[in-house]
Amino acid sequence: MKSASTISNAFLQPAGQALPATLLTLRSDRAHALTNLIMPTRRTENWKYSAKRLKLTDDMASGLPLKASAGSAVDISGYTVVMVNGVVRPELSNYPALDGLSIQRFSDLNSEDAALAAEQLSKSISDQPAKAGSVNLSQLNGARFEDGLLIQLTSGTVIDQPLFVVHHTTASHIGSAYPCILVAAGNNSQLTLVEDYVSSGECSVMVNTTTEFSLGDEANVTSIRLNTEGQTVQHMGTTGVRQQRCSRFESHSVGFGGILRRHDLHVRLEGEGAECKLNGVVVTQGTQHYDNHTTIEHVAANCNSEESYRNIAADKSHAVFNGRIHIHQDAQKSNANMSNKNLLLTNGAEIDTKPELEIYADDVKCAHGATIGQLDEKSIFYLVSRGLSRHDANVLLTMAFINELVEQIPIELVRETANIGLNQFFDQVFQEL
Amino acid sequence: MLSIKNLHASVEDKQILNGINLEIKAGEVHAIMGPNGSGKSTLSQVLAGNEAFNVTKGDVTLNGNNLLELATEKRAREGVFLAFQYPVEIPGVSNLQFLRTSVNAMRKHQGKDDMNAAEFMKLAKEISKQVDLDPAFLKRGVNEGFSGGEKKRNEIMQALLLQPKLTILDETDSGLDIDALKVVADGVNALRAPDRSILMITHYQRLLDYIVPDYVHVLAEGKIIKSGGSELALELEAKGYGWLGIKDAAVAVASH
Repeated sequence: MKSASTISNAFLQPAGQALPATLLTLRSDRAHALTNLIMPTRRTENWKYSAKRLKLTDDMASGLPLKASAGSAVDISGYTVVMVNGVVRPELSNYPALDGLSIQRFSDLNSEDAALAAEQLSKSISDQPAKAGSVNLSQLNGARFEDGLLIQLTSGTVIDQPLFVVHHTTASHIGSAYPCILVAAGNNSQLTLVEDYVSSGECSVMVNTTTEFSLGDEANVTSIRLNTEGQTVQHMGTTGVRQQRCSRFESHSVGFGGILRRHDLHVRLEGEGAECKLNGVVVTQGTQHYDNHTTIEHVAANCNSEESYRNIAADKSHAVFNGRIHIHQDAQKSNANMSNKNLLLTNGAEIDTKPELEIYADDVKCAHGATIGQLDEKSIFYLVSRGLSRHDANVLLTMAFINELVEQIPIELVRETANIGLNQFFDQVFQEL
Repeated sequence: MLSIKNLHASVEDKQILNGINLEIKAGEVHAIMGPNGSGKSTLSQVLAGNEAFNVTKGDVTLNGNNLLELATEKRAREGVFLAFQYPVEIPGVSNLQFLRTSVNAMRKHQGKDDMNAAEFMKLAKEISKQVDLDPAFLKRGVNEGFSGGEKKRNEIMQALLLQPKLTILDETDSGLDIDALKVVADGVNALRAPDRSILMITHYQRLLDYIVPDYVHVLAEGKIIKSGGSELALELEAKGYGWLGIKDAAVAVASH
């Protein structure tokens, strides 16, 4: 038997970048905590389907030579921050100074804000090990981040346009990038944050992201995550959300598969009356892989959660959904709804779905459902009997499976980008006869 | 228009059609009646090209072209339209999107440009009024949550939009109250034209009061055993199928 592998020492020696002392300390503490922990294998429940695809690399992508054009292809009318290989590029970013909104890169933080960022990071809720003694890969970001964004909204601040954070990965060599985004939304504030992960060329960088949201009382935050990175990019993202009283968090994600795609989304409803809605769409083809893990913790009473994820897998690709709802003992009158629907387009494709409920309160409404199916032959016959081509019938039916979720994405530009990607997917998967 | 010669067909190794012969000329309306299990619906599915049914023998031509060689969508583009007995519900695909894609697929086949959204909307609204459907239903999923009568009217609406050469109505009268039956019949009568033909498949004579056929055929055990004018339907209504030496399964069950 092969001995269990651990993370190399070189990996745990993060590269430079000028960071405030508190963040440097936090980072080296995180790195230290990973020493001697073993890498997840397929026997590690939390990484059962994805571990074998994982390849860590010691090199940082930020140290690799950059193409001059990296990150400049962004064409977004709105507020944008561009990061390239995990490092903020102010010269490519475009956002005005707005009352009540502060967007700062980690290296620019004064000691007070640095302490605040460190505080938010230290409370990161995705810290549990995948299994005793093994690494939770979301922790890698904490041990290796070189730069990041601290976005703060003061109480009552409402941002009128979405803020796009475009993370561009580009490199001619193997490396890794660790973008980190912290959002502190004060009471009654409102923000829509779009995280757009893109890459150029045949780049085989590993991207490991952390995004942490903290929502004050009655804050309203929408998070949109779009992943159109190239095939050879390994992507592991973690999003943590803490919600105070009567706050509302909405998440929309659209993901296209790659060699490894993994997103962990963990929401804690900590204040009474908080609510969250999580929507996710994944399409995979070829030998692609996409793994979504979500956890919703109902900590306080009277909170609502609504979750809907849909996967479509073609060829020999593999999609995974693991959705956990944890209702704490004091979270009476919780209302939780989780739905996961899956569509297999070929015999060789695989989808694994695992809804998990953990309920410790006795007065709750909690529903979950998971389905796996194929395109309905009767529906196809009905459509082609009206003159539609098989291709158009397949596309209409497949789009119908996810359209409800795509249409709920509140930003038109994101919907358009998603639809372009989806149409390419359909054209590749359903060849015209 | 349509010529069926010695048509045999089976489903899941069960032989259903046992040598059907039928000639329908342009402008004619034919009705096929028969007891349950006689093969009426199989005939309509075979003509539309449902691959679940196997044609084991025989020929079908539409205006001289071999229909059996064509895929379902090509038959539709050549002008074959089947109004389904059980129209399929397709949540997530809006009626409007479906109908427009369908109309444009036909137009493409005819060498015409796509109809633009505004033009199409106007046409669709007009026709939905003709079959007494609230235009608001255009925004809903295809047949999603429709009542039985609404589904049948939606079928007729599609026929009116697509203007098929051969319209096959598979038990379009079943499940309709008398008002809906009149609406459906008016729609079908609007399709009657010297260059178009209609094949109605029905269990009951009721529909034929409103859409008077030129010919009536009786189907039993996969064969046409009697043909006549519209008066044959009245005779069947009065005497049942028994006098032709066949049992009506529905009647037989009901009388037990």
